[in-house]
Amino acid sequence: MNDTTNALQIQLRKVIKRFKTGAGEYIGLRGVDVDIMAGQFVAIVGKSGSGKSTLLNMITGIDHPTSGEVLVNGVNIYKMTESERSLWRGHNLGIVFQFFQLLPMLTLLENTMLPMDYCNAFSPNERPERAMELLKMVGLQEQAHKLPAAVSSGQQQAAAIARALATDPPIIVADEPTGNLDSRSSEEIIELFYQLVSKGKTIILVTHDPSITKRTTRTLVISDGMIINETVAQALPLLNHTQMLKVTNLLERMDIPAGNTIIHKGEHIDYFFMIAQGEVEVVLQSQKREEVTLARLGAGEFFGEVELINGSNSIASVRATPDGPVKLVALHRKDFADMLVGSPLTEESITRIVQARLAQNRAADRRRRLW
Amino acid sequence: MIRPRWRKVLSDLWDNKMRTLLVVASIAVGVFSIGMIAGTYEIISKDMGASYASANPANIDLRTDDFNQELLDSIKNVDGVNEAEGRRFFSVRVRIPGGEWTNLDLVAINDFTDNHVNLLLPIEGNPYPANKQVLLEKKALADLSVQVGDDLEFQLPNGKIKTMAVAGIVQDQTTGAGDFLAPPLSYVTRDTLPWLGQSTDYNRLLVTVEGDSNDIDHIREVSTSVSDKIEKSNILVYRTELNKTNEHPMSSTVEAILGILMALGILIVFLSSSLIANTLNSLLTQHLPHIGVMKLIGARSQQIFGMYIALILSFGMIALLIALPTGGQAAYALSLFIANKMNFNLQGYRIVPLAYLLQIIVALLIPLVAGFIPVINGSRVKVQEAISGSGLSASKASYGWLERLGSRVKWLTRPMLISLRNTFRRKRRLLLTLLTLTIGGAIFIAVFNVQLSLEDFIKKTEKYFIADVTLNFDRPYRVDEINNAVMNVPHVQHSEGWSFVSADIIRPDNSVADYLTILAPPVDSKLIDPIMLEGRWLQPGDKKAITVSEAIWSDFPDLQAGEQLKLKINGQEDEWTVVGIFRFISRDQIIGYATYDYISELLNLPKQAFSYRIVTDEHTLEYQKQMSATIDKYLRDLGYHVSETQAGLSTLETASESLAILINFLLIMALLTALVGSIGLTGTMGMNVMERTREIGVMRAIGATDGQLMRTVMVEGMIIGLISWFLGAIFSFPITFLLSRIISLAIFNSPSQFVLNPMGFIIWLGLVLILSAIASVLPARSAARLTIREVLAYE
Repeated sequence: MNDTTNALQIQLRKVIKRFKTGAGEYIGLRGVDVDIMAGQFVAIVGKSGSGKSTLLNMITGIDHPTSGEVLVNGVNIYKMTESERSLWRGHNLGIVFQFFQLLPMLTLLENTMLPMDYCNAFSPNERPERAMELLKMVGLQEQAHKLPAAVSSGQQQAAAIARALATDPPIIVADEPTGNLDSRSSEEIIELFYQLVSKGKTIILVTHDPSITKRTTRTLVISDGMIINETVAQALPLLNHTQMLKVTNLLERMDIPAGNTIIHKGEHIDYFFMIAQGEVEVVLQSQKREEVTLARLGAGEFFGEVELINGSNSIASVRATPDGPVKLVALHRKDFADMLVGSPLTEESITRIVQARLAQNRAADRRRRLW
Repeated sequence: MIRPRWRKVLSDLWDNKMRTLLVVASIAVGVFSIGMIAGTYEIISKDMGASYASANPANIDLRTDDFNQELLDSIKNVDGVNEAEGRRFFSVRVRIPGGEWTNLDLVAINDFTDNHVNLLLPIEGNPYPANKQVLLEKKALADLSVQVGDDLEFQLPNGKIKTMAVAGIVQDQTTGAGDFLAPPLSYVTRDTLPWLGQSTDYNRLLVTVEGDSNDIDHIREVSTSVSDKIEKSNILVYRTELNKTNEHPMSSTVEAILGILMALGILIVFLSSSLIANTLNSLLTQHLPHIGVMKLIGARSQQIFGMYIALILSFGMIALLIALPTGGQAAYALSLFIANKMNFNLQGYRIVPLAYLLQIIVALLIPLVAGFIPVINGSRVKVQEAISGSGLSASKASYGWLERLGSRVKWLTRPMLISLRNTFRRKRRLLLTLLTLTIGGAIFIAVFNVQLSLEDFIKKTEKYFIADVTLNFDRPYRVDEINNAVMNVPHVQHSEGWSFVSADIIRPDNSVADYLTILAPPVDSKLIDPIMLEGRWLQPGDKKAITVSEAIWSDFPDLQAGEQLKLKINGQEDEWTVVGIFRFISRDQIIGYATYDYISELLNLPKQAFSYRIVTDEHTLEYQKQMSATIDKYLRDLGYHVSETQAGLSTLETASESLAILINFLLIMALLTALVGSIGLTGTMGMNVMERTREIGVMRAIGATDGQLMRTVMVEGMIIGLISWFLGAIFSFPITFLLSRIISLAIFNSPSQFVLNPMGFIIWLGLVLILSAIASVLPARSAARLTIREVLAYE
C-alpha cells in the first residue's frame, strides 16, 4: 500500500480533552494532531491511562473533545447531536470491542443484522443474506443461529467483526480486539483485519500486543495524552514512552529538496538526524572523484550519530536522493547526549550501530584508496 | 463517629436517589392506602354514629293523623318515653322570586328554644326564626341558591303564595340519605301555621325512650305503647319508624362500602409488597460486588444481613414519614366527603391511632417480609460469585419457545426482537410486575363490570319510574276527571291514577317491625316493569295481595313469596299475602305494590286518587321538567290542589345518587391499584434499563438513534402492559363475580347478576398502554441520554 496516494480520511486538529473527576481536573489529550489516510492499518499503543482509548473515542464520536476538531471524511462529527452522530457512526464506522459486546438476546445472525436495521442499510430482504455472507467470511456460518453465550470467545469476536462490517462502513475501529482472546484466536482475528485492509478498509486499533504493531502500516504511540513522533518511535524503539515524548518535544523539522546535500564530508555536525519521509544516500568520493554510495537510508533510520558519539567531523556526505524530497527530524547534540544518558539501552544499541557503520566506512575507505 | 458499614447503608440510600425514590414510593403507596382506608373506617364508624347521636334522634318517628298538644302531653307520661315532641309536616313548593319551583317539606316546631329531639345544628344566621320566617336545612341549598335574609316564595297546597325571609341555615343530621326520595326540609314556628293556611295540630310524633336507646326491642316495646295510646284517641298511625340513638340509618351501607375499600386497600398493600420484593432483588443483584468485597475483607453473613435489613427498614421509615401524615389527611378528607354526602358531621381532624399502628406495621413489616429472601440470598452469596463481574455475554445459551416464536415472525425487526426477548429475560421480575399490573387491571375491569351491573340496575329501576310526570294532589280527585283534564294538555299521551298508603309491618309478637309505603297502580299499568326476584307481579282480582321490595329481607330474612305478612293500615291489622318480591334500590326503605282497585276500596276512595302518572311524547329530563311545569300550571289554573309535580327521571336521579357515589369510590380504588401497577412497571423498566446500560451503549455504538433506543425500551414496557391486560381480562371474571356479589349483598341484600362491560376491557387496554408508555418513557429517556463513554469504559 502506498499511503500517500490515498485520501486523507481522519483528521484530528489540536484536540484537547479534559476530564473533571472528584480528584480534580485531568487532561486526557493535550492538543493532539493526527492525520489518517484511507486504507491505512493504524495501531494505537500506549500505557494504561496514556489516552489511547480517549483518542479512539474522539475518532468514533463516542466522547466530546474539550477543544479542537475531528473531521472524518471531511465531516465535523461534533457538530451533530448525539442521536445524529449515532446514525452517522452506524453508516461510517464499525466498532469492535474488547469484550465483544454482542447483544446476548440476539443470535449471531440477528446481531449482525441489527446495525442494518438501525441504519436502514440494505433492503430488509437483503439483510439476512448479507449478514450470512459476513458470518461466512468470518467462518461462522454454522453458528449463525446460536446465541452469543453458546459460542467461544474467538467466535464471538469474529461475529462482532461481522457486525462491525454490516453496514459496509469504510472505517473499522477496534479497542483491544484480541485483549480477551487466546493466541490462536488472536491470530485469526488479526488475519481478518488484514484481509479487510487489503479490501480497502481503514482500520484503527488500540492494542498492547507488539506482534500486531509489527504488521500495521502505522503505529501511533501515545503517552501522557500526546502523540509521540512516529519517526522517533520507529528510530529509537528502546526509549521508554516518556523519553520518546521528551525527544518529540525537542525535535527540529527539516525539509530537504531532492538531490540536496545535507552533510558534507569533514564538516562539523551538531545534530542527530532521523528520516521521517523519503530516502538519503551516504556517499564517499574516490580519488578519481568518483562517488561511492555507502548506504541508502529510509524512513525510521537515522544518521549523524557516529560524529556525535566519536566527537569527530563528518566521515561521509549525506544527501537526499534524486527520487524525491526528504523530511527529517533532528535532535541537537546536547539533547542527544542527554537522551543517551537517560537510556543506556539506546546508547548501547546506537554504539553498536556506530561501530558497524565505522567498520563499513573503513572498508569503503580502503576500496576508495585502491581506485 | 459513624461506623463505616452504617455509612455504607446511608450512602446506599443517598447515592442512588432514583432507586430510593422507587422503593420508598412502592412502600408508601401501600402504607398510604391502608392508612387512608383504616383511618376513614375508624373516623366514619365513630363519627357517623356520634354525629347522629348528637342530634338526639327520635327513637320512634310516627306519622299520624292530626293530634293536639293535649295528646302530646299525655304521651310524655307513657312508660318508657323520655321526651316527646310534635311536629307538623306539609309539602309546599318554593322558589326564589321569579325562579323555578322546587319541592320542599315545611316542618313546624312549637318552640325552637325548647327543642330536645332531632336537634338542629345552626350553620348560619339565626337558629330561632321569628314568625313568618323560615329556616332552611342545608340540603335545600342544593336547589336554592339563597343567603340568609333573602326572601323565598312558598306556594301552599291551596295554591296561595306566601313570602318568608330566610332566618338561617341549619343542619338536621337525622335526615340522612335514609329516605332518599324525601324532599329537603325547612322549618317555621308553629305560630306561623295559620298564616300558611295550616292547622296548628301535629301530624308527626318524635319520641326518645328512657333506658337503653340502642336496644331496638326496647324501642319497639315503647313504640307499641305509644301507638296504642294514640290510637285509643281515634287517631291513626300511618307509619312507624324506629331508630337506635347511636346508629345512623345508613351505617350498614356505609360500612359495607368501607369493607370493600378495606379489602382493596389490603390488596394494594399486597401489590406494593411485590414491588418491594422486585426492587430489593434488583438492588441486591447490583450490590453483589460490594457484598463480595465486604466478605473478602472479613464481613460475616450476619453482618451483611444486618446492613441490608437496616437499609430496608430505612426505606420503610422514609415511606412512613411520607405516608403517615398524608394517609391521615386523606382519611380525613375522604371521611369529610362521605360525611357531606350522608349529611353528618365529623368531630374534627384527628390522629387515628389504629390507622397509624397499621401503617407502621405495614411500612416496616411488609418490606422486611418482601425483602427477607433476597437479603438472605444476597448475604449468603460466595465471595467468588459476588465479585466475578460478567459482561454482556453472561446470559443463557439458548432461549425458550416464546423467543423462538418471535424469531420466526418475519416482519419482526431486530430492535423489536430485542424488546420482545428483553421482556422475558428476568422472569421473576416480570412475574411480579405482571402480578401487580394484572391484579390492578383485573380490578379495574371488574369495577367497570360492576359499575355496568349497577348502572344496568339503575336502568332497570327506570322501569319503576316509566311515567314522565308524577303528579300529587293534597286531596283525592276522581280519576276520570283528572285523566280527562290532563289529556287536554298538549303532548300528554297517557294518564293513570295511582293510590298509595303507608303501612306498618307487624311482627308475630305484635310489635312494629318497619313501615312500608304501598303504591297502588292500576293492575294493567304499563308504567311499571318490575325486576322480580321471587314470585309474581300483581294480577287482576288480587285482594290483600302485595309485592314487596327485597329490603323486606333485612327484617324478615326467610320471607318467601306466597307467605303471609301482617300489615297495619290505617289502624287496621290484617294478614296479607306476599305474592312476589322484587328488586329495588334501597335496602333501608321497603316499598310495596298492591292493586289500585283493592287499595282504593280499602281507603274508601273508589275511583279516586291522590297521585297520577302521566306519559308525554318525549322522555328527556328537560322535557319532563317542562311538561311538569305546564301540567302543574294547567291544573292549578283549573283550581285543583296540586301538591307537587315531578319529572320522572329526576326521581330516578335522586334514587341512584348513592350508587353513583359507590361507583366513583370503586373507580378511585381501581385507579389507585392501576397506579400501583404502573409504579411497579416504572420500577421494573428502570431496573431493566439500569442493568442494560452496557447493551444500550452498544446499540448506540452500532447506530441506534434516540428514537430507536426509546422505542426499544417502550415497546418492552408495552409488551408487559399487553400481557398484563390479557391476564387481567381473564382474572377480571372471578373478581367481577366476587365484587358484584359483595356489593350487591351490601346494598340490595341479594346477589346481583354478572354483567360484562366491554368498555372496561377497552378502557383498560388504552389505559394500560398509556401507563406502560408513561412508565417506560422515563427509563427510555435516560437510556437515550446515556453516552457510550459512560457505559463502555475501555480502560
